[in-house]
Amino acid sequence: MAELSYREAVRDALATAMRKDDDVFIMGEDIAEMGGSMGVTQGLLDEFGPERVRNTPISEIGIVGTGIGAAMQGMRPVVEIMYEDFLTLSAEQIVNQAAKHRYMSGGQLKVPLTIRTQGGAGWSPGAQHAQQLESWFVHIPGLKVVFASTPTDVRGLLYSSIYEDNPVIFFEHRTLYGLKEEMPDELEPIPIGQARVLRDGEDVTVVATGRLVHESLDAANQLEEQGVSVEVIDPRTLQPLDEETIVDSVKKTNRCVVAHEAVTRMGFGAEVAAVVQHQAFDWLDAPIERVGAKFTPIPFAPVMEEFVVPHAKDVVEAIQRTVQRDGD
Amino acid sequence: MATEVKLPRLGQGMESGTVVRWLKQEGDQVEKGEPLYELDTEKVTQEVEAEASGVLLKIAVQEGEVPVGQTVAVIGEQGEDVPQAEEADEAEVDETPQEEGSRAPERDAEREEGAEASASREPAEQVTEIREPERNGRVKASPLARRIARERGIDLAQLRGTGPEGRIVAEDVERAEMVPAEAPAAAPVAPAPAPGEVEVVPLTSIRKTIARRLTEAWQAPVFQISMSADMARALELRERLVELAKDGPKPTISDVLTKIAASALMRHRGLNAEFVGDEVRIHPAANVGMAVATDRGLVVPVIRGAERLSIHEIAAARVDVVDRARGGKLQQQDLEGGTFTISNLGMFGVENFIAVLNPPQVAILAVGAVEEKPVVRDGEIAARPLMSLTLTCDHRAVDGADAADFLRTVRSMLEEPGLAL
Repeated sequence: MAELSYREAVRDALATAMRKDDDVFIMGEDIAEMGGSMGVTQGLLDEFGPERVRNTPISEIGIVGTGIGAAMQGMRPVVEIMYEDFLTLSAEQIVNQAAKHRYMSGGQLKVPLTIRTQGGAGWSPGAQHAQQLESWFVHIPGLKVVFASTPTDVRGLLYSSIYEDNPVIFFEHRTLYGLKEEMPDELEPIPIGQARVLRDGEDVTVVATGRLVHESLDAANQLEEQGVSVEVIDPRTLQPLDEETIVDSVKKTNRCVVAHEAVTRMGFGAEVAAVVQHQAFDWLDAPIERVGAKFTPIPFAPVMEEFVVPHAKDVVEAIQRTVQRDGD
Repeated sequence: MATEVKLPRLGQGMESGTVVRWLKQEGDQVEKGEPLYELDTEKVTQEVEAEASGVLLKIAVQEGEVPVGQTVAVIGEQGEDVPQAEEADEAEVDETPQEEGSRAPERDAEREEGAEASASREPAEQVTEIREPERNGRVKASPLARRIARERGIDLAQLRGTGPEGRIVAEDVERAEMVPAEAPAAAPVAPAPAPGEVEVVPLTSIRKTIARRLTEAWQAPVFQISMSADMARALELRERLVELAKDGPKPTISDVLTKIAASALMRHRGLNAEFVGDEVRIHPAANVGMAVATDRGLVVPVIRGAERLSIHEIAAARVDVVDRARGGKLQQQDLEGGTFTISNLGMFGVENFIAVLNPPQVAILAVGAVEEKPVVRDGEIAARPLMSLTLTCDHRAVDGADAADFLRTVRSMLEEPGLAL
């Protein structure tokens, strides 16, 4: 057993795949000598050399486009987009190229490309460096979208993403890099498309992603003292979505809260709510509640940023709305 | 201003009706003329249309038998108060309307008590209490609560919701179920027959009506006469009419017979009559009823003024009423005003039969199948398409000779349709 941080777990997944397989290489802005802006790739240049740990110009469209080409030629590239906010610059390559080639070639081509990126608020990076844009990409057929919230999950899921034959957008959360967890020395791949039940409960199911998984676990602990038993599920893979685990849980608890840091409106949570109301309609005892950021750009001022993005207390309040009684 | 929906009198002699099913729910928007609910009367099950537009504020009678004139629902504007009189218990219907406000203080007191009960969360008190009707008439309940209530046969309207804004949640339904049912039947119940022995089918309104009216008919002193008609010409006529029908409904032998019977009735008006009390009412138009078998039972929709209709028009009218009869969509008026009835079992291969009178009508004609039969003509045996006609008459109104005259006219018109012109 070893204790790895979320950051080290990402690095371990990359290194494990690169040791095993010469086709795996990494590419991105300042990922070589500098080890990436978040320090994720530190030490990899020394082990694998500049052929396989490649710095790129500041051109997100070029980074992804190159990755697509290499992937179609049989490599398993992992490219890094420094901030997920900058996925907008590579959107053409992701949406119109990576997501489409396998389909348009009738399966003759495949794009086993992993696009790692990170983002999120909580450290005052300002409106252009703090967004959560996963719902842009879950909307594109042909892409898989992963968002892991724990060190164990990020390691196992990144490894599986590298060996996935379709393009994967792999979201990491900036504030989770320091999070530590005991895990086996040997990497255990985690299949794409499987949700994880992090906490069993009887009264409410909270479906949370990224940082909100931890806020929801915090909320669940607070509410346990009040006699409310909360189940917390992290889908981990947003596309494809493990609907069965979520729906089964709601059928047990009869109440559902969806929580993410991205803005609530038109968010990923809306899709989860739609799935739940459709598949578990007759099991619902309260309206499905959603927790997310207010519909505004993320402010730079720390107090304002804190006001806009959701925290454990927002999850607590949402859960209470689902279990409340008249007069409460 | 709210409009009370009262049970309409759909026909003469209608005293009550049975509300079968609501087509709108409380809280729904309804437009004047839209079907509102299904009403089972003695004769038909029909859709009753809304007499006013607005929101269906309350359904006072979900289902069951109701006297004519009783309020079964209230239509008004969203949020409007449901009128006092309408909130009277169903058993109190025949009483004079409540004076304005006379019940209000009492009800306020009840409401306060209700609130206290809710606050103290005494399960037994909560569920035994009758819920105040929602202002907008809709019962607010979660999907789960609705499902549990549905599965266990619990009436949500009888529960008090403890969820936000009074929503009934699953717990409220579960709690309701835990309260033991009041006074289980003390009398020992006879052991149920083993499955497969006897199936007990309660009579529907329509079946009860059939039973009652035909029992009445059995008391009339009736006689029957019968003849056979050579249908060769009538069949030719019908074939020609089918060719001419183009897109319209194709006339049948029944339609030809309806037309001919109507013509004959105009010449023998004593048969186009009703026997009521101590008088015979002779009608100016031949409103010919046709017995129609449906899966709900026998109904007799009426084709009015058949003597003035062409056979094509009769065919169209027949298709309309028969379709609606089979679909259960007949209106009371479709069944009223008949002056004579034809019952045709020819399509079932019945050669001849005797029909039971359809009182107060004085005569009914039973018609069998057209079949090739040997007939002696000019000393020779020939195969002819024959159809049996059996006339049942109420002897209180009709004598044998009159009946024979009429039937002979029908037969000669069938054998030579030109005579009907």
